[in-house]
Amino acid sequence: MSATIEQIREAISRTREARERVWQHRTTDAVITVLAQAAKNWLDPKSPWRKRAVEQAPATTGFSGAMVNEAVDLTFGAITYESLGELLDRELGNRRVLDEFCLRGRAHTRAMGPRLIAHFLAGNVPSPGIVSMCCGWLLRSANLVRVSTRDPVFPALFLESVREVDAELADCVATLEWPRSELALTQTAVGDADAVIAYGDDHTISALRQLAPPAAKFLGYGHKISLAVVAKEAMTEENLPRLAQAAAFDASVYDQQGCLSPHVFYVEERGQLGPRKFAAALAEAMAAYEARVPRGQLSVEEAAEVVKFRSGYEFAAASDRRIAVWTNPSGGAASPDNEPGRTSYAVIYDDSPAFRASCLNRTVLVKPTDGYKRVLDAIQKFAPSISTVGVAPMNERAQAFANELARMGVPRVCAIGRMQRPPLTWHHDGRPNLADLVSWTDLA
Amino acid sequence: MDQTGHDLQRRIVALIARGVAQPTTDEEFNQLAREVFAFQYERCAPYRAYCDRLKLGPQTVAHWKQIPAVPTSAFKSFALTCFPVGEAVAEFHTSGTTQETAGKHYLRTLELYEASIKPNFVEYLLGDYDELNGREARTAIGGHPDVGIGTGRPPLQKRLPMMVLTPSPQEAPHSSLSHMMGVVIREFGGENSQFYVKDGVLRVEELVRDLREAQAQHQPVFLLGTAFAFVHLLDHLARQRLRFEMMDGSRAMETGGFKGRSREMSKTELYGLIEQILGVPKARIVNEYGMTELSTQFYDDSLRVNHQTDCKAAPPWARVVIIDPNTGRETAEMGRGLVRVYDLANMWSIMCVQTEDLGVASGASQESGTIQFEVHGRAAGAEVRGCSLTAEDLKLE
Repeated sequence: MSATIEQIREAISRTREARERVWQHRTTDAVITVLAQAAKNWLDPKSPWRKRAVEQAPATTGFSGAMVNEAVDLTFGAITYESLGELLDRELGNRRVLDEFCLRGRAHTRAMGPRLIAHFLAGNVPSPGIVSMCCGWLLRSANLVRVSTRDPVFPALFLESVREVDAELADCVATLEWPRSELALTQTAVGDADAVIAYGDDHTISALRQLAPPAAKFLGYGHKISLAVVAKEAMTEENLPRLAQAAAFDASVYDQQGCLSPHVFYVEERGQLGPRKFAAALAEAMAAYEARVPRGQLSVEEAAEVVKFRSGYEFAAASDRRIAVWTNPSGGAASPDNEPGRTSYAVIYDDSPAFRASCLNRTVLVKPTDGYKRVLDAIQKFAPSISTVGVAPMNERAQAFANELARMGVPRVCAIGRMQRPPLTWHHDGRPNLADLVSWTDLA
Repeated sequence: MDQTGHDLQRRIVALIARGVAQPTTDEEFNQLAREVFAFQYERCAPYRAYCDRLKLGPQTVAHWKQIPAVPTSAFKSFALTCFPVGEAVAEFHTSGTTQETAGKHYLRTLELYEASIKPNFVEYLLGDYDELNGREARTAIGGHPDVGIGTGRPPLQKRLPMMVLTPSPQEAPHSSLSHMMGVVIREFGGENSQFYVKDGVLRVEELVRDLREAQAQHQPVFLLGTAFAFVHLLDHLARQRLRFEMMDGSRAMETGGFKGRSREMSKTELYGLIEQILGVPKARIVNEYGMTELSTQFYDDSLRVNHQTDCKAAPPWARVVIIDPNTGRETAEMGRGLVRVYDLANMWSIMCVQTEDLGVASGASQESGTIQFEVHGRAAGAEVRGCSLTAEDLKLE
């Protein structure tokens, strides 16, 4: 149900009042403790929060219950007392600068968070929104959170779970939902904001940037794409099963709809095992993951995208030896007397080096490559759109590759298997999370 | 000589010549479709390989719905023919964007291709022609046992001038649409029929001049073109504040989507503007659904039922099935899915083509097992659920 202008105004004044109260007598350390406790309360396999999310979130996110269950672990597992503290210490130098003047170099200084942050969440991947809310709490701001229609559940439940631990702190955040097309509501929400955090496609973000007050801080996180590279050192008989399992996890989580989800795996030739072996092992591992965590139901449009993307490869694979396709054994290109051509996962081996975005929903391309240099050539022109490049193994050569990626402006390189688990301290889209939001007062 | 092929072709041409009014029964269609499948399985190596992969062949396929469909994208990477490609008399290319390879449809003969154009065109675009001009059109085409070129044309003085908003077949030899327009002008077009795209540019001034003249002479006209050419024309007329009231009997045929060619417009909006600015009533505007990879076209039934409808039906020598992309099976009643076409007139290439268009079955005939359907355009509209860029987004950059 869409919020009204009155509800938005009321939420703004309510969270602002709460912020004034909290700000008086809560230390940053106390806030960290509350958030860590609330997150921890989700992690127990029998947690009521987890249970409610698994019941409620599939309808809007489109994920299976098992996928939502994984999302709980990925999202709240990352939020701990240590990681929250580390985030503050790394970005602000010392978490206490939010509480009092601290000596930095020769001068004393302290940091203030924005009075009011308007968060615009997007999409069905819960983690970025939850982290965004945590940042607002850490900075002791008032927070108006417009939840995504694709996931109204996680933010609202997280807020409730914080309320269970500390009602006063919870009052600093309000979650509301309204359609993107309701410009007047969006205008009301951003009109008084001192900072705007926006997730979404480029169009959404630039529209919000236009609406935000000129003086407000603005952080926009656009849609991105990810890929991975397997070097020949990793292609050994011994290593392959574990590697394939890690790769299948990265590619399957969030049904490949996240910005950290790899679309293409480049596999270096001349290893003990060749790239095709990787493709076959990846398919097997994706099948195993599918059995445990089924992909969600697709709309007709989404399934049509998948069929459109795969069918050309499936046709070609029958006669062109440069192309091979692995899908679930009951699937394949369907005909009425076959088993239904289920679309639940596919690995496509294609020896053309060109980078190509997948149709999403667990369809992965595996491409052979001569080495890191060739991968750089293939992805160069997409560099501004890349979020994460997974590598295996993380050795000296991979680090040299990471240096080249850094020069291209790629914001994150990590081991395959870790692509979907960025630490809380990561530079989301290459920027700090908190440091861009605070203002400093020096006593010097 | 290719006896099997020519024999099959002769029978299909005869079926087409029966006209649109007399449907094929399921057995009748099945018989020919299975023979065409066996022919294509034998002659087209990449298709055979694909069928083998699906474990489906002439021995295992009992009903035409089991015949494996070839995705349109396969026409980009394979020459899908049942004859030596060097012997092709024409090749049609898909337009697509510049970075993509074009799909190619090679023609063994124009006879079959052109034969399939005519009765369908008469039925859906000139079906009321008999009322305007006596009964020549439908009876001559539909009733003639051998619809070879040069038979059954209405007398020249009674034809509508066709104003075609595409390049001529001479200018665009690889455009199946231009070729079709050439055929319909030759067969049914009045004396002043013309192509208005010259050297790649739509000659709006000329068009406006000719529309004015037709209006002054109370001459009904027939406008044909792509949807984006119509938008271009309408934009021009709106800017110039020009309006026409074309004579009763005027009509329009529009085809194709918009993708990247002009501002996009819904069908409702487009038809509204054609009615408003050109004075051609909505009920006399017909959408054509055709594609480079096929020989047969499909039309809205508006002119026959005398009101604007999005419903199309396959002619007797073709079938359309809506496939649920989630299961690969035919959709349950009235379900949305991907349009799959079985076109006997495609016997020298691939009969069963899986398109990328979404559509819906809007009615069914018990007798022939055929459906009525609506086409909703290319499947490119999936809403992004997460935060990953998609193939479509990346292409735009």
